Amino acid sequence: MIRDKPWFAVVYMFCVTAFFSFIIIGFAQVTKDRVKANEQLAFETAVLEVFDLAEGKTPPQIHQTFVDEIRKEDDGAYYVRLDGDKVQGFAVVVRGKGFWAPIEGVIGISPDRKTILAIAFYEQNETPGLGAEITKPAFGNQFEGLRLGSKERPIGIKPFGAELADNEVHAISGATQTCTRLETLINNDLSKWLAGTAGEGVK
Amino acid sequence: MSPNGSAPLTKQIVIDGLWRNNPVFRQVLGICSTLAVTNLVLNTLVMCVSLTLVLAASCLTVSLLRHFTPRNIRMMVQTLIIAFYVVIVDLALKAYWPEMSSNLGPYVGLIITNCIIMGRCEAFAGSNPPVPSLIDGFFNGLGYSALLLAIAMFRELLGMGTFMGYAMPYFATHWDKWIIMVMPPGAFFTLAGVIWLCRSIKAKEAKGS
Repeated sequence: MIRDKPWFAVVYMFCVTAFFSFIIIGFAQVTKDRVKANEQLAFETAVLEVFDLAEGKTPPQIHQTFVDEIRKEDDGAYYVRLDGDKVQGFAVVVRGKGFWAPIEGVIGISPDRKTILAIAFYEQNETPGLGAEITKPAFGNQFEGLRLGSKERPIGIKPFGAELADNEVHAISGATQTCTRLETLINNDLSKWLAGTAGEGVK
Repeated sequence: MSPNGSAPLTKQIVIDGLWRNNPVFRQVLGICSTLAVTNLVLNTLVMCVSLTLVLAASCLTVSLLRHFTPRNIRMMVQTLIIAFYVVIVDLALKAYWPEMSSNLGPYVGLIITNCIIMGRCEAFAGSNPPVPSLIDGFFNGLGYSALLLAIAMFRELLGMGTFMGYAMPYFATHWDKWIIMVMPPGAFFTLAGVIWLCRSIKAKEAKGS
């Protein structure tokens, strides 16, 4: 029989692989724009969330608000909310290694660069129910109103039950790795932002 | 295929998949995902739907190709087929349900390594016609889903006091939440409990008959 011939296995595997790959490539092409749009929307939503502008808005409204109210700074690391020419706040992009995959988020900061307005994440793949709880209000709300600490360590994440300074929040029990890495990545990017713009007058 | 000839067989396959030969508590397959995604009911539900679709479609495809696939490379071909469907599901979630895609994270991709799928392809679909294979895959998927949902409900309720994210009376307010239930150890306790329970019922059935 033909299927017992040694060359048949190779040819067969090649054909089957080519066939299924072809379909996948096609499907990926079809959905590519949607996936990109979803990622962009997730980012825009996160930026608006830290300025408290996202609530109750449909995706097209979110995009419109983002275009109208947010200006991107030249270095790309942060976004400014404008009211006329006056700066209403900064949205600093923070990103780095999580426990499983990169965590990317946005931290809103007051115009005087001293207080955190809010935090929102638009990309993370932490364990559902544990590390992924960083996206929940119970964790995120702790950041509202934090005073940034020193330039080297703007914020801190302490174990549950520890006493907190006014730039610290409580970690999530069972998500130690996520929280440790989150603290590092936030501090890295906030330090850079603080160092890069410190002393500069608000335009 | 006459209706008389296939009807009892179909019934047999259905009962086997759901209960007599249930993939989780009888074959003890797919335990990794059973442990990993059962801490929230909604995530579990989407995972179960994805797995059932992938399982049914893979069984059908493996069965359709069974006369052409050389015996010595059949595992490779099966893995390829399974991976194909998983990638499709993963892409579909990313494009049309991005929130759920980010909730499930790595687990959708890990369906590829779920032993139930390989097990059913190898044990049934590889040597049976397409329609029974499709039914076998589908009902094994349902059998898996039923167990997972039971475990997830129990874990989410005791661990978070919620069901599908909605706060439940008593559990959300007065219940002292057992955080351990939504953490990995909780999965082991619950799974062991459920397997024990299901096997006890089966043992009684066996004695009775």
